[in-house]
Amino acid sequence: MKRRNFLKSICAASAVAATVSPSLLLAKDAPKGGNILSYDAAVAAITGGKAVTDSAKIKLTVPEIAENGAVVPVKVNVESPMTDADHVKAIHVLTTKNGNSRCADVMLTPLNGKGYFATRVKLGGTQDVVALVEMSDGSFLRAAKPVKVTIGGCG
Amino acid sequence: MAEARKSMIKIKPKKFKVGDTVKVDFIVIHPMDTGLKKDKKTGKIKPAHFIDSITFSLDGKPFTTMKVWETVSTNPYFSVNLKVPGKGKITVDYTDNTGEKNSKSKKLKPKG
Amino acid sequence: MKKVLLSLAFLSTMAMLQLNAGEQFAMSDADRAMYQEMLENNPAEIYVEEGGEILEEALGGEEALAKFLEVSEKDLPKYIAGFPRYIKKLGNVVGIDQVIQSMQVEQGKEKTKLKSGKMFSMLAYVKSLANGELINIDVEADEHIKASYALGEKTYMTARGGRGLSCNSCHSADIVGQVLRTQPLPDLGEVAVAGTWPAYRMTKSSLRTPQRRFQGCMKNALLKVIPIGSKEMISLEVYVATLAKAKNKKIAIPGLKR
Repeated sequence: MKRRNFLKSICAASAVAATVSPSLLLAKDAPKGGNILSYDAAVAAITGGKAVTDSAKIKLTVPEIAENGAVVPVKVNVESPMTDADHVKAIHVLTTKNGNSRCADVMLTPLNGKGYFATRVKLGGTQDVVALVEMSDGSFLRAAKPVKVTIGGCG
Repeated sequence: MAEARKSMIKIKPKKFKVGDTVKVDFIVIHPMDTGLKKDKKTGKIKPAHFIDSITFSLDGKPFTTMKVWETVSTNPYFSVNLKVPGKGKITVDYTDNTGEKNSKSKKLKPKG
Repeated sequence: MKKVLLSLAFLSTMAMLQLNAGEQFAMSDADRAMYQEMLENNPAEIYVEEGGEILEEALGGEEALAKFLEVSEKDLPKYIAGFPRYIKKLGNVVGIDQVIQSMQVEQGKEKTKLKSGKMFSMLAYVKSLANGELINIDVEADEHIKASYALGEKTYMTARGGRGLSCNSCHSADIVGQVLRTQPLPDLGEVAVAGTWPAYRMTKSSLRTPQRRFQGCMKNALLKVIPIGSKEMISLEVYVATLAKAKNKKIAIPGLKR
């Protein structure tokens, strides 16, 4: 009896559960109102409909597999001289599937010296983390990376 | 005004000169509640309670401003660079969605 | 007889399941580097700092602690790295938190509960004084610590609870690395539980002590939870410390865990 229960619990528990973190619902499950804003709507609000170019000038670092969806490290490095004439105006960190796709808008100045920002974000499930970058000339660049979120572990 | 919240500013590396670009790290203890989670003890939804804006200043002049959402992790961490113009004081002012304002400062002491 | 059959069944199950998924879940080098970097900005450091402030203001800081433990301030870090210890004037094998409580009693101050944020912070601060030191617990030092070690080993090895599990069921050398609930089971010596807890737990967004982590694991394994600060819990800490000592692990507080 004990043996069967034990085996059952091992087998059931070892399945990868790509389920939603209880602390943050994905867009498809999100309640109306509040800070809900889809990824597309957020991008449109930030860029005003302007063209966005995928750029290798942005080095976006996120883990391939997040140990825990509540604390996912994100690092953004944008190649830029950071002079008055040519600098990163803002780094917007977004996610593609969270109910509120926005995480942070970071307005930089030449005094920063580098186009760099890092933080830790919550991911409601497996999705892309996006760095949407506004340059001083008004252009928009983007880099995106997928992060796998597994819910599991003992305790 | 006494600091209501616990936080830390770290400057890396520890030794730097004028003209160097240092890393300014800010960690603060804050629940960053999304307003979607239930309190395990009461069974009621914990209202949204999160830092929504941050300003990094050097001797009173802002050099980085941030707009932040509840999607940032609890006890959040924010990191930016600063090209050291000289001796000074870095101040991080932050507000949360309840209107609570807090501030933390650290001296910037370049060598040479 | 029943116990033996149970463990045989367990082992054969693990072999059958052939969880190569262990590799799938093993962290990539790049990911590992990212999580290593997070250690440099650990929210728990704020609690450790706070613990130091409380200890200083309320009890006289390291100076008072060294005096209470009858060691020099210079020797304090190494001494801390040898806990839990038998402290003669307390008549028991104790953890750092119980030493802090005893100091409070000696100074006529109110005792801080072992299971309180304030105590967790002070415990983490004091343990952090030993950062960089090798775990040097000496389980041969006296009859009391010897007995505690024996009790700890017994507690670690005894199968109990609804599933008939012991700590060793999941953490023995031949089981570690197998995946349970998407996480590879850790070798408690290799991951230096004794050296890296108290730690910030990302799933709890707070500072957690080793004893509380043991309790969490017991709950998951359907074992009756052993009380914090009890003889058995301290003995478990003693035993787990020897696992890390055997692998030459050092103290590095606060840790950062899932």
